[in-house]
Amino acid sequence: MKLLTHNMLTSHVKGVTKGYPLLIKATEVKVSEEEFNPNFVSRMIPKLEWSALVQAADGLGHLQDLPTELIADYEANEDFLRKVHRVLLEVEVLEGCLQCPESGREFPITRGVPNMLLNEEEA
Amino acid sequence: MTVMEEAATLLEREHVHSVYERIAPHFNDSRYKAWPKVRQFLLEQEPGSIIADVGCGNGKYLHINGSVFKLGCDVCRPLVDAAWSQGHEVQLCDGLRLPYRDSCFDAVLSIAVIHHLSTKERRIRAIKEMARILCVGGRIMIYVWAMEQTRRKFEKQDIFVPWNPKPSSPTLGKECPPPRRRGTAQSVSECIYSGNTEKHRKVKSTSSMLEEEEMVCSPQQTQRLWFFSRSLDSVFDFGSLTISRSTSRELIGTFSPLGQVEGVKVGRRGRGVDFIKQVSSIFSGLSRNSSEEDVFASTTDLARGQREVGVSSIDNHNTSSEEKTSVCTSFVQDCGSVALPDLISSYQRDRTEVTEKSGVRDDGLPGDLQNRYKSSLNPRESKGEPAAGSCMRYYHVFREGELAELIESHVEELQIVYSCFDHANWCVVAEKVQVWKI
Repeated sequence: MKLLTHNMLTSHVKGVTKGYPLLIKATEVKVSEEEFNPNFVSRMIPKLEWSALVQAADGLGHLQDLPTELIADYEANEDFLRKVHRVLLEVEVLEGCLQCPESGREFPITRGVPNMLLNEEEA
Repeated sequence: MTVMEEAATLLEREHVHSVYERIAPHFNDSRYKAWPKVRQFLLEQEPGSIIADVGCGNGKYLHINGSVFKLGCDVCRPLVDAAWSQGHEVQLCDGLRLPYRDSCFDAVLSIAVIHHLSTKERRIRAIKEMARILCVGGRIMIYVWAMEQTRRKFEKQDIFVPWNPKPSSPTLGKECPPPRRRGTAQSVSECIYSGNTEKHRKVKSTSSMLEEEEMVCSPQQTQRLWFFSRSLDSVFDFGSLTISRSTSRELIGTFSPLGQVEGVKVGRRGRGVDFIKQVSSIFSGLSRNSSEEDVFASTTDLARGQREVGVSSIDNHNTSSEEKTSVCTSFVQDCGSVALPDLISSYQRDRTEVTEKSGVRDDGLPGDLQNRYKSSLNPRESKGEPAAGSCMRYYHVFREGELAELIESHVEELQIVYSCFDHANWCVVAEKVQVWKI
């Protein structure tokens, strides 16, 4: 699970209203190299919940020098875009879980895949 | 959960989810081409778009268009794992409850997915969920199997489709063989429709109507079977399926010859699940004593008119008035070249006592109320062979305009952009619009 994915995921347990962002508890994290596409990253940024991204990266110990606030004019700032690229696409949680901030319910991540299936009572 | 929800969940678990889990390895053995229109839809998305493929299967659409970010999800673990191993971002989840925040996707795909949902309400819910995650201005593309095929139409909308019967074998799939690569649209498979007293009626149809994963059957193969079902919606429509308790008691009896199976008891407060299990017990005798050959071999003595035998009681949570007992099951029958054991004819009852939803033609068909195959599963699996019955997938095939109507009438946040018929599927593209509530 990449952090770009995590940014879209929310807890959907019945009754939960503040299920986002999910807390990441990782037991295995992988960092790999992905081709950098500045245009792609730049277009992705407005769709992100920036603070959730920062929180997630920080929680994994991969925040590094990523700014905690979005900078202005980032489209032309390659250095910034590279940092975002790394955090969004190169850091992957392979094992662990995602925890609902409201209910505490944990969704396991196994072999890189989050299991967001709810059981009957939660649906 | 209401009774209907439970029944729907059970049905889908038996005849969608667990089937896909079983056949997943075979899905992955072959490469499947993307439907051109879907490919086109993906390629048209702006670079930097985020797209959800809801019901992505093994991810065959997730590699298209490298300039957009695709998130796939599916209920089937083996398929999702396979997609992940291809390098895609995927999650396990249910289409009725998507774990995505509102309005975060620029586009959504629902390709050959919602036809696996067994009630109208669930199909609407799935569409609404997908609309929820779409941002305003974003588009969704939905593909579902069409009732109307190129040269004919299914006679009913709710069907069970067997998975890949082995073409070379004279009998139907003792195992679920790996799928062949799908050929061109001209490939044919034989398709048998119900409702005909003629023996050996076979109808050819293009296999392109099917999902790509369906195997191309050789012309020699004559055992392609479609099992029709009554929709869960009609089963639980208490208004139309009314029958007095006394009448239903008459209908319930002991079934023979394949073992003396007890009649299903009509309980006062039969829960949906209980009655479902009771119904399936009727078939347990059948499965233990009959072989695949008996059920699927050649001669037939087909459904003459209706062979409805309903045995159940459903606790109607929704009405406070006296519960109604409804006769709501019918048995699987295939028309055409299928030998149904004599057992089936002994189930015949005078169905004039059954009031049915109008427009539904009666061919005995079974188990839209699942678990039907459950007991047939086990004896076979112990031999290490998944029975053909265990690989029956449930589909609700859509009439012309039905999908559009669902959206127009029930999903106000989506506006249809276009709809078309594409290779035996109905395709609809709709756009998320802002809905102003005063």
